[in-house]
Amino acid sequence: MFGPSNQILNNLLFWVSRKKWLIATFFISISIFYLPTPEGLSPEGHRTLIIVITALILIISESIPIPAVALLIIIMEVVLGIDTPNGVASTFMSDAVFFIMGSLMLAVAIVHQGLDKHLALMIVTLTGNKTWRISLGFVGVSAIMSSFIGEHTVAAMMLPVALSLLKNSGVSINRSTEISTLLLFSIAYGCALGSIGTPSGGGRNAIMIGYFAEFGLADISYLDWMKYAYPMLLIEIPLASAILWYTFTPEKTIMDSAVRKLKVDVAKSGSLNSNQKLSIIVFIFVFIGWIFLSPRIGLGIVALSGVFLYLSLRLIEWNDIATRMNWGIVILFGSVISLGIQMKDTGAASWLAQSFLDFSQLFVADQILTSWFFSVVLCSVMTNLLSNAATVAVLGPIVLDLGVNPIIMGMATSVASAFAYLTIVASPTCMIIHSTGLVSSKDYFKAGWKLFIVSIVLLFLISFLYWPMLS
Amino acid sequence: MKILIAISSKKYSSQTLEVGMRVAKAFNAKPTIVDVGDKINQFSLKEVGVAQERMESWDLDRPGVEVLEWAFDFLSENKFIEKKEIESGFPKNTLIETGGRRSEVYLKGTVCDDVSLILRNGEIIEELISEVQKEHYDVTIIGKSQSSKKDYELSQYIDSSIFIVNNYQFDRNYKILLAIHESHFTKKAVKYSVRIAQAFNIGVNIIVIGKNNESIDGLKKAGKWSAKFLRRNKISFSESFEIGDPVEVINKKADKNHILIMSLESNNPLKTFFKGNTPLKILKQTQSSVLIVK
Repeated sequence: MFGPSNQILNNLLFWVSRKKWLIATFFISISIFYLPTPEGLSPEGHRTLIIVITALILIISESIPIPAVALLIIIMEVVLGIDTPNGVASTFMSDAVFFIMGSLMLAVAIVHQGLDKHLALMIVTLTGNKTWRISLGFVGVSAIMSSFIGEHTVAAMMLPVALSLLKNSGVSINRSTEISTLLLFSIAYGCALGSIGTPSGGGRNAIMIGYFAEFGLADISYLDWMKYAYPMLLIEIPLASAILWYTFTPEKTIMDSAVRKLKVDVAKSGSLNSNQKLSIIVFIFVFIGWIFLSPRIGLGIVALSGVFLYLSLRLIEWNDIATRMNWGIVILFGSVISLGIQMKDTGAASWLAQSFLDFSQLFVADQILTSWFFSVVLCSVMTNLLSNAATVAVLGPIVLDLGVNPIIMGMATSVASAFAYLTIVASPTCMIIHSTGLVSSKDYFKAGWKLFIVSIVLLFLISFLYWPMLS
Repeated sequence: MKILIAISSKKYSSQTLEVGMRVAKAFNAKPTIVDVGDKINQFSLKEVGVAQERMESWDLDRPGVEVLEWAFDFLSENKFIEKKEIESGFPKNTLIETGGRRSEVYLKGTVCDDVSLILRNGEIIEELISEVQKEHYDVTIIGKSQSSKKDYELSQYIDSSIFIVNNYQFDRNYKILLAIHESHFTKKAVKYSVRIAQAFNIGVNIIVIGKNNESIDGLKKAGKWSAKFLRRNKISFSESFEIGDPVEVINKKADKNHILIMSLESNNPLKTFFKGNTPLKILKQTQSSVLIVK
């Protein structure tokens, strides 16, 4: 075994072998810093772009913890002279961050109530025992629920329902089968496509609403967002379900005994208890607050009020929220929103948008179509590689500056960031189903590419046929 | 003495577990069995944790538990665990989180001092390094990987001796091939050979390899000491001397009927990092299981 000095040396070598991207990022940043500032870009904009590149590489490579990336963004904003410490602090915290933080806390509180058994009963009562109907039910229920309470919350509640059905039908839950793949992807894709439905479906929706307001483009309310996005969600449910069925058609087309066993198991757990009823009532109040009060007090404050009620009514303890919340994500969202605002303020976003327009004019005359495809395709590809909220936070200020109707561009970008169908790391829901060991990375591509293309075509039609009627 | 046995599934790890437990028995060591599950990306860590909590509330096992359960059954069938433990079945309720990505089942052993079952999630090399650093294992036992990079990283970075189990078959008549070459850890390698020979009840072929006549003269002393040590421990052995490149000579001599035991040339990680090491070069081609002593 190694002596103490050799142990340190060995640890250092291992660190270097695992932090190649961190070291590369350092040299890339230094190199860009010493490059002359491009024409039309301010020195502050130049330095902001260094932070954007640094953050993107570090988030994708995961070479340092995500909260460390978030802190690095804030430090670099001040050290590179882009803004004062107080200026950075004020862009770091906004209603969008309150909303993301509140929604994540609400998610923990809802999962904590153990409503999944009743959810299971509701699904099998609605769908009956035919496998295709159960799959459709999983997609539909996941989509509609995740549009209100966030995708990973729903995935966490739906996962045991699907695994119980599989176990009850005699399918091994230790190895992958067509039916297990079908049900798990019904949850993951249902949650992903549902997350576009309302601002509370995903943090990225709140970020885009924040940008609309911050840049003086529009005030989009909770209900306005639903008018834009919900029709697409409803159309996608049967489409996604059909794609999944024909990609992973199982041999077992009836799950009669599994459904019966599940009903018996759920019946044993009894009816809703008072805490569960109360938690549903609190969430309904929050939902009503989002619709009617958010234009006046903001989405974030409504979400935090809901958390206040859950805590005050002792429906959840603070310790449960504190240990189950992904605080690193909240800090990251705050810092990428701050970075997005700096991109706008320093002119980096406009410069990138103009550079893209100048370049695209060499090939295509129609700027509207080019800009739309640029933002949607880039966003949907990036969302499969890094966090969808981080994608929207970075791309948002650029696409809103492309000179096309900013509402349509912003909504299209936000919706496209939900097309996280292709990789395991695309979203927490993809990772949740992968963590069961029942789906492989190939499975994501097998069904994902079809849904990816169908979603882009559908978004195109909705963007140019339906949304102009609302604007 | 502490031994770490890394497993992944019933399909791929039964040989590793069998060999590992026999080695643990030979050393009268405390074995820890670890399963390293897939890495969960940082954006999803908490969310996956919550989903797994919900699974447990439905009496569904979290991924990886079935591997530990199979290992438990293996231990009980082979009488590594007390009867009381076997009758009560796999004690899932003693799966305790002992760190962000580490859970542990506590079991009482009979043949060995103690047996621990560990569940970890993450990149396998990082997790094994972390486990070895945390618990100070003397030997890590793992199945041979498809990737030579992984084998290289194991031999370079893990701060324990490493036993890489390759093509092991229980009904085959094995012999230990103890390679003595220029190394700091020859005595330790000889001692390990004796223990393993006793555990598997097999003989030892000592092969002393010098790069030239001068170096073989220097190694003859080590060869003599090894022969004496084996004789004293009543291990049947043969001895031969070869001149040439250790990698070529060992690869020529070692076949699937051998368990190759050799030591790392240097304990300077920087030297190994840049120059590579003999065991790793051998590992790339050999059909034998290899114990790299360091």
